[in-house]
Amino acid sequence: MFADRGYDGTSVDDLVAALGVHRNSLYKTFGSKRGLYMAALHWHVEHQVRPLVMAVSAAGDITEALHRALATDAAKPGIDLLLRAAVERAPIDPEVAEVVTWCLQELDEALGRVLIAGHPGADETARVAALTTALTATVLGLRLRARAGASDTQTIEASGAVADRLSRHEI
Amino acid sequence: MARVYVDGEALVVEIEGLDKLWALKSRLTIPLVNVRGATADPGIVKEPKGLRAPGAHLPGVIVAGTFHLDGERVFWDVRDPAQAVVIELTDERYNRLVIQVSDPRATVRLIEEATRKP
Repeated sequence: MFADRGYDGTSVDDLVAALGVHRNSLYKTFGSKRGLYMAALHWHVEHQVRPLVMAVSAAGDITEALHRALATDAAKPGIDLLLRAAVERAPIDPEVAEVVTWCLQELDEALGRVLIAGHPGADETARVAALTTALTATVLGLRLRARAGASDTQTIEASGAVADRLSRHEI
Repeated sequence: MARVYVDGEALVVEIEGLDKLWALKSRLTIPLVNVRGATADPGIVKEPKGLRAPGAHLPGVIVAGTFHLDGERVFWDVRDPAQAVVIELTDERYNRLVIQVSDPRATVRLIEEATRKP
């Protein structure tokens, strides 16, 4: 619900109705809406972001890695809550910012591993790190565009174009 | 209406105006370590409030005083649901404060910033 409606767009009424719990037990368990949000964010990281990062890490090449990171298949758990957290909560909540930064770094590193594996001889320089930061930003941007209506085909073509250039050139 | 501010390591909740006549207690000082969180929650006014402890009661006009619900002690002081803020406590006389403040968002932000772990 936080991923769909955002933090401010989700009221305690919405949460009580969706979770089917009593309001007082929600407060007793989580302390506040933010407490529940943090629990949801940590769950998202553990059960959706981390498996995605592992899948990206295990990809055979950068095309597949980007494809997996984009998780265009609706059945795959995405990173929409993370995306929203980065935009909505991270600027005003240092604890959220820390979680978001950690996840993005994990994604950077996973993409970096695949990139280096595809370019034998490439050393792990700062340049590769900068490149993976840009790649993660591309993934986030494409997901954002997908939310705004870009089709899966457009998303996959865009990531394919980036991957194609990367695999043809020295990094 | 309540005024909420941070004084050193404590959160102070002052019940202002006439409400304090109904609510009996006019000022609560709570160590910040005992504050679990705060939430703007206009919908909470519709919830059953439980059995009331001493404190005056004018149904439909004002909710102020101490209520007991499911073994919890809750302090209420709300006239306008739109301005309701819920403050969850631990190891305190009250499990929860449901108060009315002039700017719920600002109050929530104040409490979240004050209770943020370093």
